[in-house]
Amino acid sequence: MTNRERAMNILHYKQADRMPAVHFGYWPELLLEWADQGKLPRELALSWADGNAADSEIDRLIGWDFNWYRTVGAHNGLLPGFEHKVIEVLPDGTQRVQNPDGLIERIRPGVTSIPSEDDYLLKDREAFETLYRPKMQFCPERVNYEYFKNFNQTRDKDVPIGLHLGSVLGTIRSMVSVVGMSYLIYDEDEDLFADVVDTFADMQYKCAEEILKTGAKFDFAHYWEDICFNSGPLLSPETFEELCAKHYKKRNDLCRAYGIDIISLDCDGVTDRLLPTWFENGVNVMFPIEIGTWGDQFEAARQKYGKGMLGVGGMDKTVLRLDRAAVDGELERLTRLSAMGGFIPCPDHRLMPGTKFELVQYYAEKIKEIRL
Amino acid sequence: MSALLLNEISEKLQRGKAKDVAALVSQALEENIDPESILNQGLVSGMNVIGEKFRNNQVFVPEVLVAARAMNAGLKILKPALAGAGVEPLGTAVICTVKGDMHDIGKNLVKMMIEGQGIACIDLGVDVDPQVIVDTVRDNDVQLVCLSALLTTTMHGQKDVIDALVAAGLRDKVRVMVGGAPITQEFASEIGADCYTLDAASAAKEAKRLIGEMRG
Repeated sequence: MTNRERAMNILHYKQADRMPAVHFGYWPELLLEWADQGKLPRELALSWADGNAADSEIDRLIGWDFNWYRTVGAHNGLLPGFEHKVIEVLPDGTQRVQNPDGLIERIRPGVTSIPSEDDYLLKDREAFETLYRPKMQFCPERVNYEYFKNFNQTRDKDVPIGLHLGSVLGTIRSMVSVVGMSYLIYDEDEDLFADVVDTFADMQYKCAEEILKTGAKFDFAHYWEDICFNSGPLLSPETFEELCAKHYKKRNDLCRAYGIDIISLDCDGVTDRLLPTWFENGVNVMFPIEIGTWGDQFEAARQKYGKGMLGVGGMDKTVLRLDRAAVDGELERLTRLSAMGGFIPCPDHRLMPGTKFELVQYYAEKIKEIRL
Repeated sequence: MSALLLNEISEKLQRGKAKDVAALVSQALEENIDPESILNQGLVSGMNVIGEKFRNNQVFVPEVLVAARAMNAGLKILKPALAGAGVEPLGTAVICTVKGDMHDIGKNLVKMMIEGQGIACIDLGVDVDPQVIVDTVRDNDVQLVCLSALLTTTMHGQKDVIDALVAAGLRDKVRVMVGGAPITQEFASEIGADCYTLDAASAAKEAKRLIGEMRG
């Protein structure tokens, strides 16, 4: 069986010879740590990205079968992006940087981390109409038609590859920060935020449609959102439903019309309050199910939504910093979860600094022993 | 009449209507309503409702942020009158994100909610060296230190601050509250913090309690 068959069979409640060893990548600092320890060549650490050649080589060194984030898609963001430029260097060396999304971030050179939001450009209707709306339009340059026309012949056939559908709200949140999104939702031009969401979503729909029309076949489709934190969603579930539900439905209906029935969505944090909007509008794979950090539970979602709710993730990655006994305990729990079907264990986020290389190898070897 | 107006301030604040809150606070002052009542029965009362709703998952981050913005708009008008009337804050807290961590959304939320309780905040910002916190505690009448960290790689900076307070002989002068995405009660207890809360609204409630304890 190929890993692609294994994964797709499991997510369709069909037979598979074993569980595939699936991961969700690494914090760059961890790869450098491993390079310093002599576990992998430094050039691999420096060139790693989801699904690239370095990722495959690290898979081989560790024993992973594949990275779930093996996705391809259109240019789903602002086009052209804003100029990436340093606006100010503070006395302590911190840089205030305008990124391609128009967000002003504080960055300390040499430190890779979740961006620290400082300011943003999209503050009112005028900024939207003059700066953002033109960059949110569909144009042929967003899609590499040649690549997708040849995709079925040239793709890696051993692993599942997903069509990246972009993000209904997450990217917009990245453009304006959590604070900015909050103000835009409530500020005097009540239609503005909905207008931003609709404009951006229409472009992403068109991108997906253009790719699917080339005849390229995908194993699954995938969104990135990251719109929740440690106590729940970053906005009210009612507002989220009102703004986003129709866009998920439209995009997911399109995917199903082209035969894609596995649609996963990456959202960190405690996601349970937003699950109804996602699930009822066609998303059916929770990912990465952050159990270690937030206690997000797949079992609860399965009980509530039934077998239509699938999962990839839910493995407490923090045990990979401890010892074999801790990993064994987690494997026991994952074996029970896997028996429910429609679930593929995967570390519940990027592996972080302090993760032990040998324990990851051990986990990758043992997870393959789960029989279904 | 004054009760109605104060209630309206509270209502508008809960709906995040900053301009309305500022206008209503001005109107209340013109009508000679005493500044302390405007603060407590108007602004703080509104933030308390929002805090409670946030704790109960009835409102979410955007509603808290716009309410806090409205609170600040009202406070800006009210502050000179409060000072003129000799109204003192309940106490003073120092708040910051610890060394090595640049993130401040959680810290700012907690700050807004704490100020919403009528507590003064000295905001030291992000990536703050423990010694700066020690110096601030030494040089000011502070009862509470609030430490935020977003990352697993920086959360141990909270312990460094507690250790620095102990080394400076200031640990008994203040209560220490910790929070942030990776922080747990277990971690807070392990590093010797006095308090951990999961969310900003609970942090504000605990801040009031801890400052009350310190002030006897």
